[in-house]
Amino acid sequence: MSVDAKPTATLPQYVGARVLRVEDPEFLMGRAKYLDDITLPDMLHAAFVRSPVPHAEIVNVDIEAAQALDGVVAIYTAADIEANTTGPFVTALPRDEIMPVTRPLLASDRVRFVGEPIAVIVATSRYIAEDAAALVEIDFKDLGVVTNAEHGLTEDAVQLHDDVPGNNIAHIEFDSGDVDRVFDEAPHVFSKRFHIGRVTAAPLEGRGVIANYNPGADHLTIWSSTQMPHFARTLLAGTLGMAEKKMRVIAPAVGGGFGVKSCLFPEEAVIPVASRLLSRPVKWAEDRQEALSSSAHAKEIIMDLDIAVDDEGTFLAFRGNYVGDAGAYAIFPWTSLVDPLLAADVVAGIYDVRHVSYKVDSVLTNKCPAGPYRATGQTGGYLLRDSLIDDIARAMDIDPVELRLKNCIGNEPYVTATGFRYDGGSYAESIRKVCDMIGYDKLREEQAELRKEGRYLGIGVAPYVEPTAWGSKSAQKHGFPAEFYDSASVTVEPDGSVNVTVGTQSHGQGHVTSLAQVAADQLGVRLEDVKVLDSDSDTAVYGAGTFMSRTAVVSGGSIMRAAADVRERILALAGQELEVNPSDLEISNSTITVKGSPGKSMTVAEVSAVAYFGGERRGEVETLTSTRYYDPPETYSNGVIAAVVEVDVETGHVKMRHFAAVEDCGTMLNPMIIEGQVAGALAQGVGIALLENAVYDEQGQFNTASLMDYLYPSSNEVPTMDLAHLVTPSDVSEGGIKGMGEGGLVGSPVAVVNAVADALSPFGVTINSTPLRPADVLAKIEAAQAGNGGR
Amino acid sequence: MSVQETSTDAQDDLVVQVRVNGESRRGFAEPRTLLSDFLRHELGLTGTHVGCEHGVCGACTVLIDGEPVRSCLMFAVQAGGKEIETVEGLAKGAEMHPIQQAFQENHALQCAFCTPGFLMTVSALLDTNPDPSEDEIREYLSGNVCRCTGYVGIVAAVQSAAKKLRDQGGTADER
Repeated sequence: MSVDAKPTATLPQYVGARVLRVEDPEFLMGRAKYLDDITLPDMLHAAFVRSPVPHAEIVNVDIEAAQALDGVVAIYTAADIEANTTGPFVTALPRDEIMPVTRPLLASDRVRFVGEPIAVIVATSRYIAEDAAALVEIDFKDLGVVTNAEHGLTEDAVQLHDDVPGNNIAHIEFDSGDVDRVFDEAPHVFSKRFHIGRVTAAPLEGRGVIANYNPGADHLTIWSSTQMPHFARTLLAGTLGMAEKKMRVIAPAVGGGFGVKSCLFPEEAVIPVASRLLSRPVKWAEDRQEALSSSAHAKEIIMDLDIAVDDEGTFLAFRGNYVGDAGAYAIFPWTSLVDPLLAADVVAGIYDVRHVSYKVDSVLTNKCPAGPYRATGQTGGYLLRDSLIDDIARAMDIDPVELRLKNCIGNEPYVTATGFRYDGGSYAESIRKVCDMIGYDKLREEQAELRKEGRYLGIGVAPYVEPTAWGSKSAQKHGFPAEFYDSASVTVEPDGSVNVTVGTQSHGQGHVTSLAQVAADQLGVRLEDVKVLDSDSDTAVYGAGTFMSRTAVVSGGSIMRAAADVRERILALAGQELEVNPSDLEISNSTITVKGSPGKSMTVAEVSAVAYFGGERRGEVETLTSTRYYDPPETYSNGVIAAVVEVDVETGHVKMRHFAAVEDCGTMLNPMIIEGQVAGALAQGVGIALLENAVYDEQGQFNTASLMDYLYPSSNEVPTMDLAHLVTPSDVSEGGIKGMGEGGLVGSPVAVVNAVADALSPFGVTINSTPLRPADVLAKIEAAQAGNGGR
Repeated sequence: MSVQETSTDAQDDLVVQVRVNGESRRGFAEPRTLLSDFLRHELGLTGTHVGCEHGVCGACTVLIDGEPVRSCLMFAVQAGGKEIETVEGLAKGAEMHPIQQAFQENHALQCAFCTPGFLMTVSALLDTNPDPSEDEIREYLSGNVCRCTGYVGIVAAVQSAAKKLRDQGGTADER
């Protein structure tokens, strides 16, 4: 990857250019303020008392010793929080198959996972709050545990919630075409089970909340390390029983999200309650143990897939079963279905298959609740399907790339058997391109040569289609009936500079730059004249936040619409001033010129001066500000990941040699930022495939609560990368923009897993779980040699 | 004497005197106060971030007497009398250090929570090795975790910064 940045002043247009991020200097100088960097006068500090046991009745909570500690200001338990809120979080969706799940803000009579909050200590320092938390004594009565989703469905399993009989939050079935008949008649049926390991998004900055209740104004300001400040305000207003106008939610600089901060957590309600009760600011900054054990886990699903295939290798039908491990509660507000339902419903991918059925269950277990993490659900679904496709290729002696191309849909818009409308892409072309990039044929020759030396090189190629632009249409099509509202405002200030506000939230994606590129082009002004503001419910217009690769489309589209209004008004005013028809005017470089008469011009600043201070010269022209919303149709990016690995069969170590990726997200706003998103997602894929695992033992104890046990990929594990683009603009969205950012994590884990399986194919190894740590790889080789295919 | 008993009523507080980014600074610390907490919350230098508090992620890296150190694994009182460099000391006013410029030019930061730690580690690397190979860069940086970038931009930025500094004929410190 090389970044060939150009000075912005000379660009004919900004969209599509590698514009350097305007927000960078503040971050690089250490001046950006993250949650824990904020200190308010008279501020208190909170620590949570958390359950050390996985499933128990709370018999007694003794806070006496903690209360006696010097510096402890208050201790609140469930009763205090219940008395000062409208009720617990109830996670539900308007679908008959889905059971609502209730989550108390603090556990009262029962705990359901290690790390569940039971009480909150508020003290004059965080050190004292943590000292006091250790002094709270709790008596528990063990209730037994469920630590495996399939066991949770059995008749004699321990029950987690009285109002969710059978531990199953949802049982969903989908059937399209004539699946059973096709399977009955198919010449070949291949089947596979895959268990994707439990992981967690683990952004480097954990969660955190500061609440500051001002009793004089009856106003509550909340800073939260969240991906959705406006939507959090709406949800919290309900829980806290306050009007939204009395609440301001600010996401300060946010140190990564990856989906985990698109949920609302009990701590985000409890800290404001504490501040309201004390009329003082209260801060809670999560530590790493809390982040790993008590925020949200992700992706664990036990999955089965059957693929019916004809003699030529054409896929005829897919039949899947997906049992998601929800953890102890359904994540609020999205539900635990974000993993198993999305794993199932993306089963078609790029493959032209008309007969598809699947079943989905989402099972309660005594683990940290599971929620969205980049490429939610899809990572697992793709691990299952595309590892099975490689198994089929080996069994039928067809090259795996050829087998994929044979079954690939065309580039034109396409409606899948699951009802999704793809808005055009480069599905086959991207596969050919990635093969060129890695030198596929040469690598196959090298692989054969190395095998003679006892070295095991492997190649995995994983094409994907990424559902993006999660608005009402995408959500509904993917089984989550909900409506979304996203907007942008564009305002030309008196001096001609431009303020843009959006209801999405940037936590590393560079929106402040890429959305300014959209606004500058649409208005015809210089990039340096535009500022984008987000992340503050008082100063930025409303939106649902940033998740599911939506911001480029929903905020980009909203800005395009609002800027078009403002541009029209600028031209109307300029037309009056220059005494020409506005249709004869154009704006470029913050200057309005008359087509064909180069001498006649005005700057946007001059027009703005008229708009603000021109009195009657304004005429009938409206203000130079507009707020517009955009709720886009479904859009889908596509791409391909290729992974090259070498496996040491003596130690089981998988050495990542190289990644190549092709991304097609339609109209590109900023290729540099796009490449950064792809690169980061590929690295996370290395973690899922080879390193990361949130582990519970059979008693439900959590064993990976530090970064010594939960392994992030480092610069030694993540390989070099070669990234490239294809551009197929959406035929339905504003500007042809498609969302992106998650595709790398849709495809990279299975690309790595397939590369490992390819490397180990001489041993007959089948891979059916992640992560593939050295011991796991050795066990699979040994099992294969013992004759059971590595199971 | 850089650490001394104090007369404040906070029972175990000590006065810690250090030099940070060339300036003499003093503040209170309990014996157990981490250097990271002292820098951030007592001296108000919040550019140094805390990602794990157990010495794995590297976000809290600062230079102490020129050596990269995890400030979450050290007590403030242990830093008494030492010369500390933090991210706030890299730029000269609004002019970024060549390493910072290289990070921007190579898109080496996204959420930027890890970035101050990386900048300090890279500063130490280029002080001792002005022309590191890619393997040496990856090895040296392997104690700093980035969850966003996949390290691609970071490695490119270090190569670019090394060249900038070599061209200027100075080290990361003396430019």
